[in-house]
Amino acid sequence: MIELRGVTKRFGTTLAVRNLNFTCHEGEFLVLFGPAGAGKSTTLRLIAGITEPSYGEIFLRGESLNGVPPERRNFSMVFENYALYSHLTVFENLAFPLRARGMPDAEVRRRVQEMAALLHIEGMTDRKPGYLSGGQRQRVALGRGLIRDAEIYLLDEPISHLDARLRIQMRAELKNMCLEKHRTVIHVTHDYKEAMALADRVIVLNKGRIMQDAAPEEVYHCPANDFVASFVGDPPMSFIKVSYREGEGGPAFILPEAGIVLRAAKDFGGRAAEKARTGSEIKLGLRSNQVSLFTTADQLNCYEARVYLVEAQGHRNLVTVDFQDNLVQISTSPETTWQVGQQVWIGLDPRFFHVFVDGRAVYHPDRNIVFSSIA
Amino acid sequence: MKVKKFTAMDILRQTIIMAVLIVMLFPIYWMIVTSLKPTNLILMNPPVFTFKPTLEHYIYAFEQANFALYIRNTLLAAIFSTIIVVVAGSLASYGFARYNVGGGNLMFFILTTRMMPAIAVVLPFFVIFRTAGNSAIGQFFHLGMDRIGTLVVCYTIFNLPFAIWLMHSFFQDIPVELEDSARLDGYSRIKVFFKVVLPLAAPGIAVTAIFCLLFSWNEYLFASILTRDMAKTITVGVGDFWTQRGILWGPLSAAATVCVMPMIAFALLLQKWIVRGLTFGAVRG
Repeated sequence: MIELRGVTKRFGTTLAVRNLNFTCHEGEFLVLFGPAGAGKSTTLRLIAGITEPSYGEIFLRGESLNGVPPERRNFSMVFENYALYSHLTVFENLAFPLRARGMPDAEVRRRVQEMAALLHIEGMTDRKPGYLSGGQRQRVALGRGLIRDAEIYLLDEPISHLDARLRIQMRAELKNMCLEKHRTVIHVTHDYKEAMALADRVIVLNKGRIMQDAAPEEVYHCPANDFVASFVGDPPMSFIKVSYREGEGGPAFILPEAGIVLRAAKDFGGRAAEKARTGSEIKLGLRSNQVSLFTTADQLNCYEARVYLVEAQGHRNLVTVDFQDNLVQISTSPETTWQVGQQVWIGLDPRFFHVFVDGRAVYHPDRNIVFSSIA
Repeated sequence: MKVKKFTAMDILRQTIIMAVLIVMLFPIYWMIVTSLKPTNLILMNPPVFTFKPTLEHYIYAFEQANFALYIRNTLLAAIFSTIIVVVAGSLASYGFARYNVGGGNLMFFILTTRMMPAIAVVLPFFVIFRTAGNSAIGQFFHLGMDRIGTLVVCYTIFNLPFAIWLMHSFFQDIPVELEDSARLDGYSRIKVFFKVVLPLAAPGIAVTAIFCLLFSWNEYLFASILTRDMAKTITVGVGDFWTQRGILWGPLSAAATVCVMPMIAFALLLQKWIVRGLTFGAVRG
């Protein structure tokens, strides 16, 4: 439906986004996900027509949007800083996009009330935004963005400032609403859980470039590079720096100083092995729930490490261990107790290694293997 | 409820405030008192504080010196120039704030017109307006010597740069996302200006208008040189009582009181707006 072709935006000497190519299909919930300064908001503003691309073109149903001002695009946008009209009441703020299209008063009233109920702000429609809390303001902003029928909804961190409980609730309602009305949404967020929960498809951005464009599960299980791996997940992947060797026992990753040899998974080979042979920097990526932690060394594939940090998170204890100068995070059950500085053994199962060569993923473990802590 | 006790610091502070107030307000008090005193008591030494007030000086000022006309002239000149300044100034400063017209140089250039003292341009103005008054267009716009159009033009010229600079900051304080959002909702640029920008900038525009009115009302130099009778303003009119026979302190005080009071009343009335306008940028969260 909307397609970006080679879109680049330059501000002075900095490139905010470079050479973006992606398509958002009709009825799709697309999430732009990345850290601050990745160019997510700039991308939205380019689509909205608030800023014009320096190079490249944006197409809506095959027609170029170059030179089409925002008021003629029929897109709706929610701004990160709310952009509420402080001189108008909440009711009038919500009604603003409807009135712009000359909707009759009764219909405006009905829609505003409906939206206010959905966002749990019914009681405050005659207040001005200045008298609302941050979370309430954000809900008004979200409501104003969603209240009218638009071709595409551009949402720039629309629920990021709500408190946790409300955010999860709003997340569900947002998804529900968009699904029900078959809306096309481009949603910007830096919260990976939000991205995973909402998206039909996730585009991971970093420094103005697309890092990965895939379904959410794909982004989680098969990150395209070490940036995506280090940004997606709670906690994100841990990395172990290794070198690669092919000996008589098959391909293996070694930590030379410690003399540790980690055998690669049985299906590791082919192109992945070739890349690993020629690459200069090899890293193993580990999910925190696919590493085991023991107090004794009597298990197979166990290596000595030292507890670096313990975070009690209620449903789990997240332990960070120092393994040969690599910090590895491990989820352990909440009943376990760990002391900082304690000597421990981590169980590394080669079937769960993600292999990155020079930053790019070359091998991902089979998703169907169920992890069990006994290696 | 806690009863607040006065400390020595409080008393000292109140005393200083009182002293400052007395120094600041005494001239105004004395002007009003003088305007109500019978003539023979005005110059008494030691000064007289109790007397039977009289309105004779006011009557004199309005009947002998035609003060009603001066007030009318001042009002016309001040209001017309303020309207022009606010309309032209708000559009100009919006342009500067949003589109950075002239890359900042033009803004600065506009300010340079305020860098010379008014006295430096009064003679060229005199010549220009005398010539303009002889042309048909000049006649149409009430230009020329001793005409109100001339004052309107002068006040506009001198207030416009100030207004542009003042309003510029008000417009800059309005987040640009508000306009972007309205445009996405389907409003054109010009509609966005009227529906979103103007209402939000209203306190700032009001403050600018108030200052322009005050400046125009109090202006003396241009009015004294470019007008004689017909377009004479109230500030110049006060000088009428400085006659060859001596200074008529009673009518002079009465005239000065008439000159000052509307503006004081005006400022008090709009105090809230002025303060809000001046802190306009600070109140938003």
